[in-house]
Amino acid sequence: MAASKFKKTLSWLGLYLVWIVASLIVIVPIYWLFIVSARSRVELIGTPSFIQTSFFAENYTGPLSDPVFQRYMINSVVVATSNAILVAVLALLATYALTRWKLTGADNVFFWTITNRMAPPAAFLLPLFLMYTRIFQIANWTLFDTRIGLILLYCVFNLPFAIWLMKGIMDGIPIELDEAAMVDGAGVWSILLKIILPLAAPGLAISGILSWIFAWNEYLFAATLTSVEARTITTGLAEFVTVTGTNWGEMAAVAMLAMLPALIFLIFVQKYIVMGLTFGAVKE
Amino acid sequence: MKRAQWVGWAFLSPTLIVLAITGLLPFIYVLYVGFFDWNIFSAREGLNFAGVNNYRRLVFDPEFLRSLWYTIQFTFWSVSISLILGFMLAQLLIKDFPGKTFFRVVHALPLMIAPIAVGALWRLMVIPGFGPLWYGLEEGLGFKYRIGASGTQAFLTTIFMDVWHWTPFVTLTMLAGLSAIPQEPKEAAMVDGASTWQVYRYITIPMMMPIILTTVFIRIMDALRIVDEVFMLTGGGPGDATRYIGLHIFRVVFPKTDYGYGSATSLLTLYFTIVFCWLLFVAITSFQKK
Amino acid sequence: MDTIMDQTPETEDSPAEGRIGTAAPLHKTRSGGFLPIDTNTFDRYFISVVLLVAIHLLWMRFVEEFIPLFVATIISLILGFIIVRWG
Repeated sequence: MAASKFKKTLSWLGLYLVWIVASLIVIVPIYWLFIVSARSRVELIGTPSFIQTSFFAENYTGPLSDPVFQRYMINSVVVATSNAILVAVLALLATYALTRWKLTGADNVFFWTITNRMAPPAAFLLPLFLMYTRIFQIANWTLFDTRIGLILLYCVFNLPFAIWLMKGIMDGIPIELDEAAMVDGAGVWSILLKIILPLAAPGLAISGILSWIFAWNEYLFAATLTSVEARTITTGLAEFVTVTGTNWGEMAAVAMLAMLPALIFLIFVQKYIVMGLTFGAVKE
Repeated sequence: MKRAQWVGWAFLSPTLIVLAITGLLPFIYVLYVGFFDWNIFSAREGLNFAGVNNYRRLVFDPEFLRSLWYTIQFTFWSVSISLILGFMLAQLLIKDFPGKTFFRVVHALPLMIAPIAVGALWRLMVIPGFGPLWYGLEEGLGFKYRIGASGTQAFLTTIFMDVWHWTPFVTLTMLAGLSAIPQEPKEAAMVDGASTWQVYRYITIPMMMPIILTTVFIRIMDALRIVDEVFMLTGGGPGDATRYIGLHIFRVVFPKTDYGYGSATSLLTLYFTIVFCWLLFVAITSFQKK
Repeated sequence: MDTIMDQTPETEDSPAEGRIGTAAPLHKTRSGGFLPIDTNTFDRYFISVVLLVAIHLLWMRFVEEFIPLFVATIISLILGFIIVRWG
């Protein structure tokens, strides 16, 4: 018996060891980013050390007090928040239609929305740039370099998964509830707002938060469809490589700031990330 | 229950309009522009019909073909390594134990942070002068490690970064899948004297197949469209060693203002991605039916 | 890309009553064509277009020096018709 108990303890130890090593591999680069962001230029030179006692705050205060960077931050917040709200509202309306009506051809529509997510974004850079600068134009105003342009665009990537996620949730809300309300004389809008909305709210919140994070993280389109006014924090981060050169401490600080919201939200959506990334194909 | 069709479509229409503007229209537009000669700096103004000339140029364009080839290599290695690693980790970690949630949160970290920040943090890891990875390889092992000079090393580093970025995703999906499959067949087979390998070969893997295939599919699509991370890490260099197709469009084609040719490049990229995914999907489904 | 999602395991597995509001797919899958996989009308059009593009690209790369491109168009249109009709 003693031998088998020993074996069991060993397997537990091994389990923890694997988890810890795997987690360390995940954590170390992120931790190093933090270390670099807390160091001045001089401190970086020499043997890399993972212990940091001082905190070089200029790396953070520098960008944060820069009006250009402040604009980037505000743009990111505005774009991500508006996109999340828009996606949540559209997904609610769309799944309400998809689950409560027998629409001819709705299946094809449903799958078409999903395929939008699968296309490589780089292939859409040029046409979207041309359309934003030349086609969507009213007098001198174009969609190019506007927050609205980005907000609309991010729907392509966020709506499909939000619709998948919401469809599962809406299917779970019994249709008898609607029917009972309908007998009582409720209209489609009051059914949606008074009966379905409260039940679908948690799902909506998750779709909203995941959309928010994806919109905040997006770089490619933010870099090509904006020039000055609507630039976001991710493009600001990339500018450190292409423009400013080698102020690694500040770059790390900006990268930390760009990662921060994701780190905060992570706790809330941890359970749903896999579902969100696999279009609900894999549930936990 | 009878409901008017038009009310349903009315609820659906805002979504359809938004997706049509940002998803469908660009596709139609790129299809259209791809058949024209359109360069704002050329002598001939506006769009001039060019037939398939853009595509004729494209099939002989060594840069484009090379970046396609690099992308395929990158996708193959990155996806297979992350898949094997993730699957093995999930097997080891299926057991319940205290503190599991904490570890799962840690593993979800790379999935949520901005890809551009992933590129930034790996750049700081490998940068000559103070990056720990560079230091370990150069000073510790005496190995000459310069991703700015060696194409092979840069290529391997991008694969390493991508594996770091996405293995946790594979682990988490596999964990979800493993905990969803019933344990009885496995136990019954064990009682009947099946070896561990046989249990995997004939029970676990077949039952996991839908999840494995979904994961492979998503991983391949993600790897094919990688841009941000590699852009921050290597910028596509040295030379064009890590200029994958998305990066090729972003860094080379897009700034050239040769819109007709650029549209053809974009469309062909889309074509290859779709065909690749479709072939993969057909292979997967027919494999599953057998 | 429709076809891809059309046949994903998770949609196949979901029981019909689980998907209240969605109508039946417009096109039925049929087997018995000469293609090795079961296809619906959309799939066959999709395959035809994919082949049309592939033939043209390869033709431009390797054959056009000897035979003009419209031959490729004729070949792929005939092939497309065959696939859509009997595939």
